[in-house]
Amino acid sequence: MSQAAQTVERFRYDDAIVRKFALATLLWGVVGMLVGVIIAAQLAFHELNLGQYLTFGRLRPLHTNAVIFAFAGNAIFCGMYYSSQRVLKTRMWSDALSKIHFWGWQLIIVSAAITLPMGITQGKEYAELEWPIDVAIAVVWVLFIVNYMMTVFKRRERHIYVAVWFYMASLITVAVLHVVNSMSIPLSLTKSYSLYAGVQDALVQWWYGHNAVAFVLTTPFLGMMYYFLPKAAQRPVYSYRLSIIHFWSLVFLYIWAGPHHLHYTALPDWAATLGAAFSIMLLAPSWGGMINGLLTLRGAWHRVSEDIVLKFFVVGLTFYGMSTFEGPMLSIKSVNALSHYTDWTIGHVHSGALGWNGFISFGLLYYLVPRLWKTPMFSQKLANAHFWIGTLGIVLYVVSMWTAGITQGLMWRAFDESGRLQYPDFVETVVQILPFYHIRLIGGLLYVAGVLMCGYNVLRTISAAPKVLEDEEAVGTPLDLTPLQESWHRRLESLPGRFALLTLVAVVVASLFELIPTFLIRSNVPTIAAVKPYTSLELEGRDIYIREGCYNCHSQMIRPLRAEVARYGDFSKAGESVYDHPFQWGSKRTGPDLARQAGKYPDLWHVRHLEDPRSIVPASIMPKYDWLLKQDLDLSRTRDKVATMMTLGVPYTVEQLDQAEALARQQAAKIGQGLAEQGRPGMENKEIVALVAYLQRLGADLKSQSPTGPVAGR
Amino acid sequence: MLSRVMGQADLAIWPQLALVIFFAVFVAVVFRVFQRSRVEEFKRAAMLPLDEEGSENV
Repeated sequence: MSQAAQTVERFRYDDAIVRKFALATLLWGVVGMLVGVIIAAQLAFHELNLGQYLTFGRLRPLHTNAVIFAFAGNAIFCGMYYSSQRVLKTRMWSDALSKIHFWGWQLIIVSAAITLPMGITQGKEYAELEWPIDVAIAVVWVLFIVNYMMTVFKRRERHIYVAVWFYMASLITVAVLHVVNSMSIPLSLTKSYSLYAGVQDALVQWWYGHNAVAFVLTTPFLGMMYYFLPKAAQRPVYSYRLSIIHFWSLVFLYIWAGPHHLHYTALPDWAATLGAAFSIMLLAPSWGGMINGLLTLRGAWHRVSEDIVLKFFVVGLTFYGMSTFEGPMLSIKSVNALSHYTDWTIGHVHSGALGWNGFISFGLLYYLVPRLWKTPMFSQKLANAHFWIGTLGIVLYVVSMWTAGITQGLMWRAFDESGRLQYPDFVETVVQILPFYHIRLIGGLLYVAGVLMCGYNVLRTISAAPKVLEDEEAVGTPLDLTPLQESWHRRLESLPGRFALLTLVAVVVASLFELIPTFLIRSNVPTIAAVKPYTSLELEGRDIYIREGCYNCHSQMIRPLRAEVARYGDFSKAGESVYDHPFQWGSKRTGPDLARQAGKYPDLWHVRHLEDPRSIVPASIMPKYDWLLKQDLDLSRTRDKVATMMTLGVPYTVEQLDQAEALARQQAAKIGQGLAEQGRPGMENKEIVALVAYLQRLGADLKSQSPTGPVAGR
Repeated sequence: MLSRVMGQADLAIWPQLALVIFFAVFVAVVFRVFQRSRVEEFKRAAMLPLDEEGSENV
């Protein structure tokens, strides 16, 4: 650096864009977490499901999307734009692209907030947004990558700081995940069907889902930790070495971990075991990173009690350690057998989301706001109060969900002395955990109260800020472009293009090795001759099931465990969901599994139950779906839907295609007639008949036939 | 067609191969990182966030 001192350049960082992202973080944080409180309240008090557009099934995707992609998304952009410019010693390559990124992202969030309550969804968790929004995300994301990589290329600092590695890996991997998982065939502007089906769709979805946790909620936050924690502590990171190992092992390990979401499902055993093995290995780099962060504070611990930024960071890191310990434990099959489908998972997620992502984001805001607006924080006391009320909120939330999850998990598998299920009625286990839903609601309310305090504090700070805020000025020497000669890895670290490419190779290779065998090894998805495609009416019913977000509370995947088979029937086979675009296995049982629903209850039971669940199950917490009995069934696109399914490889006959609408009407009339005979006339043209038809089909193919083994050939 | 050809291949070995490859790469990274010659460079790199000019304005 010294020999080029004569060519010092003066330049300014783009702080305006960071301010925009900071405010967006706060705004969407409040919105997303408020929706979280609302859905928590809906579980505690079912009456709060206020009509068609505001049921739990529709709002829960809104909550997850808002907190992950709007709150955490804007927070990482905020931290990335601020820290990257500074460690690279350059302004962003293109202010125009930065602005397009900002406004494009906000527009995507707004369109998500509008479409999800309308029931416009692809029905895959954390990837619910329909294809036009998916395309917009891809475009905005690619523009962001271009801007970011160009900024790295024109930097003034030769060595690329480890934070930027984490950022680059995140950008590249998220692009791959998003594009692969969102592959679908559009039916219309507001409806599309996943390219994949059943087991394969499940594997792709959870490969995506877990890596969204990795490359949206973990690696960018670690990048921020590696920049902002040393800044706030005013000392370098404890071990730069460890940070490099941390980086590579996360990139290499995380991408494999997804299948642990599918233990004991119809996913081939090898894939689940592989996922579990890598998940357990993840403990090492995760804790290495946490320890690296905490030891950065060596000799500065006395400042933690005074500095609000450090307080948030330290507790955030602690929760990172907790949830990255809990995660590998939950990925062990025998633990997962108890925890899966219960609120334990919800507790695990929120210790990471509220503790790690939330607290790092708020620490970031308390660090940045005074610097960006060149004004001290309005109130340190209020910030302190936010810290304590937030921490209390997390503890209440997490502990109540752990208790609820373990309680319910144990009740589901409890047998009495005579070998029968001790709690055969699912609702018994729901009633038992309702008090914990109330405690969780209180925890969530406390946390949101803290966020509102933060918002007020920031707004007061900004209102006292100078009217004109100049971008911060800095000096740097132009980069000598001859790459470092000493060793290949050192050259690699200074060459962003090649570095990014290698990261991409690592991620893609891992993904292909994991995904391709499931797609191609025939024995992995044995077909079952008895399993036939849905009728056209059932197909319509399935779309209603997805629209209402039933999969948020009901699984369709019975695990081969004694208690499950006793409760729900024969365990689910891979061959049963080969025509499910997208798969509907679910991940949570707030209500019972539906995989063998066919014939369990008469049609009228379903009609009455959907109209008012409590007329049949008095203690049920399920929302009413009475509009299904009033809204007319729309069969205008039925033929197109069958055609789309045929494009996807579902073996319908030409007659089934041409007669799609007529066949649907026939089946609807038959169900309607049956209902009329039992005293419920006028249902044959309503949406309810389609949904009933679908529910009465679930598992019917195997019931009608004596259990069959795998049948070769597809 | 392609899927039929690929279906015949013994793909079950893939994940195991991958595990070995990835572990080897990981060991290589650890090996490089702990080379003595890199101590100075890491020291300097670790200081990067801290030696910025004009950022201490609060």
